[in-house]
Formats: sequence, C-alpha cells, structure tokens
Amino acid sequence: MVTRPDDMFTADVIADPYPYYGRLREEDPVHWNELYDLWVITRHDDVVWMTRHHELFSNAVFRNDPRPAYPAIDESDLGLYEYVRNYQADQFIQHDRPEHLEMRKIVHTYFTPRAMETWRPFVQKAVGELLDAAEANGHMDVMRDLATPLPVLVIAQMMGVPAVDRPHVRKLAEKLLYIGRGEHDRMKPLTEGMQGMIDYVSPLVDERLVNPGDDFISVLATGEKKGVFTRHQVLVNTSLLLLAGHETTINLLCNGTLAFMRHPEQWALFKGDPEGLAQRATEECLRYDAPVKSIQRIAAQDVDMRGKVLRKDDRIRWFISAANRDPNAFADPERFDITRDPNPHVAFGSGVHHCLGATLARVEGQEVFKALAERFPSLHVQTEALEYQPSITFRSLKSLPVAWS
Amino acid sequence: MARSLRVRVDHQRCVGNAMCEALAPAVFRLNANRQSEAINPAGDTEEKILEAAENCPVSAILVEDAQTGARLFP
Repeated sequence: MVTRPDDMFTADVIADPYPYYGRLREEDPVHWNELYDLWVITRHDDVVWMTRHHELFSNAVFRNDPRPAYPAIDESDLGLYEYVRNYQADQFIQHDRPEHLEMRKIVHTYFTPRAMETWRPFVQKAVGELLDAAEANGHMDVMRDLATPLPVLVIAQMMGVPAVDRPHVRKLAEKLLYIGRGEHDRMKPLTEGMQGMIDYVSPLVDERLVNPGDDFISVLATGEKKGVFTRHQVLVNTSLLLLAGHETTINLLCNGTLAFMRHPEQWALFKGDPEGLAQRATEECLRYDAPVKSIQRIAAQDVDMRGKVLRKDDRIRWFISAANRDPNAFADPERFDITRDPNPHVAFGSGVHHCLGATLARVEGQEVFKALAERFPSLHVQTEALEYQPSITFRSLKSLPVAWS
Repeated sequence: MARSLRVRVDHQRCVGNAMCEALAPAVFRLNANRQSEAINPAGDTEEKILEAAENCPVSAILVEDAQTGARLFP
C-alpha cells in the first residue's frame, strides 16, 4: 500500500509525478486521497471508461462543488474565490449535456481538423520569426522565447485582436494561468486576469455583433444571437480559449523539447526525417510527458469502480500522466519512442469533452519540433536544475534554457 | 436519386466525441464502448453525412461512393 504522506503537492511529486501516480496505478487504481478529499483514478482503461460516461461524472465542477479551494487560499481571498467560481462556471466545458452539446456545437465547427490545417502556414511563419529573433544569441529559454509567445500569437489572431493589443492580451493570459497553481495568494492575480479579459473583450463582442467576421469572438457572438450563450458566457469562453490554448500548448512544446533532449538517440532519429516523423513524435510527446496531468469531475450519482463506491458529489481526479504510462495500454511505457504506433494516449481526454483545440495543439507541436530539428540540430539543455510549477492540473516547467552552436 | 454511400468509422481513431451522432443521429450511433458506428449510411443526406465527417475531431469517419469506391471524405 501507499505508505508515504499522501500529498500530491510535495516537491518530489511535483518534480517527477510518474513514480507516485505509477505506484497508485499498480497498487490502488481507485484511490481515496484523505488530504484533499478526492478520488484519484490512474488506470488507462478506467480513464477512457470515465471520459466516455460523461453522464456519470459531471463537468459542472465549479457550480456543483461547494468545498473550499485546494490547495488552501488566504482567508481574506474567499470573496475572490466566489468570483472565480462564478466565472469558471460559465465556461462551456463546465456544463453537462444537454446544455454542453448546444454550446459545443457553436464553437466546434471552428476547430475542425480541416479548418485547423489552414492555420499551419501562420504557425510556421510565427515559429520562424520567433526562432529568427533567438538565433543570433546562440541560446534561448524555450518557455519565454518560443512556447509562451507562440500560442498567444495564434490565439490573438483567432480572436481578431489588433497587433498593438497583443502585449496586453499576453499579460492577461499570464494572470489567467494562476488557475492551475498552488500558491495561497493566487486569487488576486487570477481575478485581475479574469476581470481584465471581461473589460478588454466586451467592446470587441459589441462590435462583432454588428460586424461579424471569421474570428472566434464572432463565432461566440453568433451563439449569443442564437440565445445559446449569455454575454457573460461569451466573455468567459473567450478567456477560456486564451487559457486552455495557452498553458497546455506551452507545456507540450517545453515538455516535448525536454523529452527529445533527454533522449539523444530519439533526437538523432527525428533529425533524420523531421517531416516524416513529426506527427508520431508529437503524439509521443503528448503521451510521455502530457501537458495536463489531471482533470477533475464531480460524481453525478453513486458509481461502483473496482469494488469501491464513488458517492454522488464526490470529487474525482483522473490522472492522464498515469494512464499514459499504463503497461496494460502501452508496450514499454516508460520508454520515449517517437515511432510508437498506435498511440492511444489520453492527453486530450476522450468522449464528449475531448479537447476542442487538439488539432491546433498538434499543428503547433509538429511545426515547433520540426523547426527546432531543422534549424538547431545541436540543441541541448543548459541546466539539469529544472523546476516545475506546483500545480496538480498542469505539468509546467518554470523555464527551459537551451543552447546551440 | 441520390447516390448510395459507404460510411465507416475507424475505431483506432474514434474517441467517442459523439458530434457525428448529434449531427446525423439516424446514421451514427455510439456502441457499448461509446465509439461511433455507422448504422445506416442511407439515414440522412450526403451533405449531412459529410458535415458529420468533417466535424469529427479526429477524422475517424471515412465516406465513399458505394458504386465507384471514390473517396468523398477525408
């Protein structure tokens, strides 16, 4: 049994979550965590089953979970937490069917694989420009110089944000990232980011209602016209695009780059045929060190799982990081193998809530890894002392300094 | 008369997003594993079936002309 302190936020679990969640998967795959009052699910087949049974596991987490924030926040910030709850609750992903389906239909068409493929040239150009800016230095922080600006450039373009406003949007995006952190005083920057988004996006929505374009805010404004979204929901879901498409992509790009650097033989293999291998290699990056570690649900009813009873309204977190290394689903799961196929990882979840931006994330990952291999074949990490954000949701490096000659 | 179609769902890819079922419920239905099956390729118009295929987030739906075998999607 698990004997050590059952704390998912200790320094060693944050630094390397795989041994801790891997042991849970082998010893107690449906595990009750006393400390945080939640179920921890770690097997691949269980995660797939749960994601495909959305009617049993509610996504309306912020609306339905009356328990306090975790890790704990400053008592003086409880009012701010209420603001955060009300804000988050209006995201379309924080809804169950039937409302979720009507909301998703509005935004889904914008993100089809074919539509996202048309963004590839824009992504290639943006990657090229970011690497041009770094090239002469001989070194960069992948986090600061590539992985953070790239998704904001793409999302700002999707939102139809004028170039002059991009630094402001980027600042707001960085405040929104506090949603996944563990600091006790995180509510203040987070609510500043949320309110800042509302203030910034509201006039854009007014304008798109009169003059709709082919941008994402216009898509949401259409939803308001049709009565599917309230104005607050339009604003919150614009933030959601910025949040969900930002941190996750950063993590894919940084964690993937680091995986290549730590496996020189795979990097050498990739450099031999970046174009041909980019697709499978990106899938393996998504599996091996997934951008999102875990996802939360609330039990919609009592559910039996592996001899245990998850009670209605219990908190549940399934761990993508553990499921993606389940030996029952993957041969040699601890091995980083960029030719792995098939690769049924659950980095984007599955079922009706499968990640809306999955194809865009794939395009960004493929283009970044290709460009790095082609332009900086001698790429290497400059330090072994890498740190991760203290988040239970995101697998986020704090920085990733690399160099080339 | 409309041409007849062959519609298949690749279960290596299908993640049970169920958008096809929402768009063309007479054509697609989730099975016990919550993956989509093409139960009746004549259940809706060609336009609607192609819309469902296009909206599959993992491009798991294959549509062909049943007579000629010509690929219509993807």
